[in-house]
Amino acid sequence: MRPGGPPRNLRSGQRPEGARGCRGHVQFGKSPQSPPSRTRFPSPKPSVSAAVRDCFRHRRRDSPWRVWTAALPPGRGRLRMSPRPRASEVRGPTSGTPAASQAARNRASPGASPDPQPPVAGEAATGGGSCRGKEGTSGELLPGQRVCKMAAPMELFCWSGGWGLPSVDLDSLAVLTYTRFTGAPLKVHKISNPWQSPSGTLPALRTSNGEVISVPHKIITHLRKEKYNADYDLSARQGADTLAFMSLLEEKLLPVLIHTFWIDAKNYVEVTRKWYAEAMPFPLNLFLPGRMQRKYMERLQLLCGEHRPENEEELEKELYQEARECLTLLSQRLGSQKFFFGDAPASLDAFVFSHLVLLLQAKLPSGKLQAHLRGLHNLCVYCTHILSLYFPRDVAEVPPPRQMPAGPETEEEPYRRRNQILSVLAGLAAMVGYALLSGIVSIQRASPARAPSARALGMAEEDEEE
Amino acid sequence: MWIFWQPEKAFLQMCNLPVKVVCRANAEYMSPSGKVPFIHVGNQVVSELGPIVQFVKAKGHSLSDGLDEVQKAEMKAYMELVNNMLLTAELYLQWCDEATVGEITHARYGSPYPWPLNHILAYQKQWEVKRKMKAIGWGNKTLDQVLEDVDQCCQALSQRLGTQPYFFNKQPTELDALVFGHLYTILTTQLTSDELSEKVKNYSNLLAFCRRIEQHYFEDRGKGRLS
Repeated sequence: MRPGGPPRNLRSGQRPEGARGCRGHVQFGKSPQSPPSRTRFPSPKPSVSAAVRDCFRHRRRDSPWRVWTAALPPGRGRLRMSPRPRASEVRGPTSGTPAASQAARNRASPGASPDPQPPVAGEAATGGGSCRGKEGTSGELLPGQRVCKMAAPMELFCWSGGWGLPSVDLDSLAVLTYTRFTGAPLKVHKISNPWQSPSGTLPALRTSNGEVISVPHKIITHLRKEKYNADYDLSARQGADTLAFMSLLEEKLLPVLIHTFWIDAKNYVEVTRKWYAEAMPFPLNLFLPGRMQRKYMERLQLLCGEHRPENEEELEKELYQEARECLTLLSQRLGSQKFFFGDAPASLDAFVFSHLVLLLQAKLPSGKLQAHLRGLHNLCVYCTHILSLYFPRDVAEVPPPRQMPAGPETEEEPYRRRNQILSVLAGLAAMVGYALLSGIVSIQRASPARAPSARALGMAEEDEEE
Repeated sequence: MWIFWQPEKAFLQMCNLPVKVVCRANAEYMSPSGKVPFIHVGNQVVSELGPIVQFVKAKGHSLSDGLDEVQKAEMKAYMELVNNMLLTAELYLQWCDEATVGEITHARYGSPYPWPLNHILAYQKQWEVKRKMKAIGWGNKTLDQVLEDVDQCCQALSQRLGTQPYFFNKQPTELDALVFGHLYTILTTQLTSDELSEKVKNYSNLLAFCRRIEQHYFEDRGKGRLS
């Protein structure tokens, strides 16, 4: 059974946050971290989403304590910790990992040791999730636990993946890509229910101080402040170019992307809405996709539609024309380089990639822009290159969205099942009650001896009536 | 409208095309796209810088012929940046900053109309602008954040300009016209506070750039307003 009951809220921490975090940290190290812990997981590849799932699965069977050790920063006093020797073992590999910054941040939690009890682990995760300020620096700390100066690791909530991509949402994809580029040790929660995110929208970043940021640009700015800066090596001129090209993307390409996925009827019905409806839990999938569509439509109208839209089609044509131009410009700017500014990816690459790859990968029934993009060979190569390099796991998986967020889904399942059973029972009870009350069905407490005669009487009555 | 015609005017001047500025109260309604400014040539009406540039190009005048593909891409990108940041910031200041709205904008916008139309139209326009701001994510920005964005944009422009006389080579292009137009407006328009123009003045090369263009192309207007 799932430990601890249904997680309604990520803050209540039943999620395998620790698990995910561990993977995140470990991955950031980019070192062959604790091989023993690795071997426990079926998937050796360092992908957060895979790790999430695996960590979660394993959590149930006497949770790999190493997972927790790595994940939780010290000072999670709530954990009933067991002795350190094992912790120190783990501490070795994980803190030994490079990322001076990681070591500096003391993220590898030395003190969090093997606690096989999931509820406590869950509690610890809760501790992580909710009480940042109170780092357990109080007496709850077991001896030897390092008091971590940094608060809990950052958590990123984003839309889950589909169509062969790590995420189906543009903003989530951009932020995810950026974090992969910089190797920021985030716990990534891929969910398909925006109401579960701390800010109500996705993507959302919960920082170490508990603050929640939901504007993608601000998320990236925050990551930069935390020294995960992909633009560190850029010259001033390149930084200026970044700003300029991001504006270009926003003005020219974004409206068309919105139009392609949300406004174009065929695409919306067959691709977008289908995915969201399947991914979201009941009953959200009944109204949320529609609501999102209305929001996007309004946004699109405001973005470009002070035009008297004399003609929807003309407007559309114009938009697509500009988008094609924009794609061509991007292609010209990229040339034959690997990334926009040389050999290392920068934040501009994250944004461009997220815009392009959505267009490239999704199987759109009416993809006029897609055709144009496919004709720009260097952009296609660019996208596949980044996808295979930074999201190897996600490329390999093209299963329906249902299977991907196995973590959150299995957690929701008992809750959902329970809901379903309850609703069926309630329906039955209502029907039976109504039937009884209105006399359609009546309960006769007749003794067996009298039953036949009662029946005979009943039949006789029927005959009479006829 | 008091702000928005500088870029287009600058562009036309740079192309050596004679242009006469006419102010009309119903300019927005006359324009085919609802946006001002627009040019009226013969029996054609073209609005917004992009289409104006295309139109002029079709007539045989162009400023960006000498650029290669990569430079053209950069030029377009920077133009979008300016549109995105500077134009929106100007709009924000004009319509979403309460001090400016109350003191300057409402009065100016409604001045051609009799009461109560002046108030109604002004409020309507304000509401429209606020809605647009919200849609692009500027709805919750404070004045300081907007000023910071302007600063960032100016920094990018300044870095791109460097020590060159114009953004690309020695000849002005549409980008120069656009940047000049906006910066000139920011520097010369009287607002309730000088913060916006101060931000621009921080970058000496941008200031020099504006002065240079003003002297070169607008010297017939008499003494430059940029001192």
